[in-house]
Amino acid sequence: MEKLIEITNKAVADYGFRQIVQWSPEDIVAQWQLSSREAEVLTGVVKDELDRLPIPVEPPDVPQEQERVAGIIRQALS
Amino acid sequence: MAGRLTDKIALVTGGASGIGRATVLRFAEEGAAVVAADRNPGGLEQTKSLAQKISPDIETVTVDVSKLDQVERMVDTTVERFGRLDVLVNAAGVLILTPPLAEVDERHWDLMMSTNLKGLFFCCKAAIPAMLKTDGGSIVNIASMAGVQAYSQSLPYAVSKAGIIHLNSVAASQYTSQGIRMNCIAPGFVDTPQARGSTRSTEVIEKAARYHPLGRIGRPEEIANTILFLASDESSYISGSTFVVDGGSWSVASRL
Repeated sequence: MEKLIEITNKAVADYGFRQIVQWSPEDIVAQWQLSSREAEVLTGVVKDELDRLPIPVEPPDVPQEQERVAGIIRQALS
Repeated sequence: MAGRLTDKIALVTGGASGIGRATVLRFAEEGAAVVAADRNPGGLEQTKSLAQKISPDIETVTVDVSKLDQVERMVDTTVERFGRLDVLVNAAGVLILTPPLAEVDERHWDLMMSTNLKGLFFCCKAAIPAMLKTDGGSIVNIASMAGVQAYSQSLPYAVSKAGIIHLNSVAASQYTSQGIRMNCIAPGFVDTPQARGSTRSTEVIEKAARYHPLGRIGRPEEIANTILFLASDESSYISGSTFVVDGGSWSVASRL
């Protein structure tokens, strides 16, 4: 779960990385060696949340967006 | 002057947004049949919808350029749909911000290299045989000023873009005599979703515009116009070159 939150935190703050998570998630799953359940969450609810984010997420908004998506991940994996 | 690409068949990677999308639209205006390729299917559909207001000869292919089998399928689709391939524009790329070299995550390095440099290599590798079957063609590779100057925000991105510039030179030395011209563009700061996303703040964009000699950053259409020139027969005596398109910011900076 921590790896997935680390990936999502980077994706919220960095649009280039976000695009890879959105459109080439298999590369992220392989590079970070995510479990099948983590991969499912990444390509499901996490991608949905990333799709909704503005470009860019303005710096003051980054921590709250990261925490919000992390909360969704914790809930999905609990 | 319309019709500068009449009867030409063009393939544009990174066609879902930014410079790639602007190129698709510009090529359509000039009479080309265009295949827009990208890994973002939603963005591609938007590009297609815009381009179809200009021309019916628009196709889209969802592709991850870092996967050779997908790239080969993209070229095959272009040739099957339109009969040949005359122009390839390699505009697909990604910028991930990284800390200084010693702290760069190997995975971030790999992700950027595989899209920006290996992906462009794959696209050329797949397109060149198709171009050689007809009368050759024109390849336009999109690098970046980050590949010319030291860009401290992302060493892997800068190195990948420098690699594109050199790949372009070497490949031009190998294929110009066979009728394939290869040229490279190094854009400066251009107002694309990637650039906006990578600044991490709209405030940075506004600041960059204030300090730019033109008082603004570039527009994707301005890069697309340069790509158009290099794709068309108007640039028939140009190959192996890299063009800085930055609104003069490099020349001004070098005088300081």
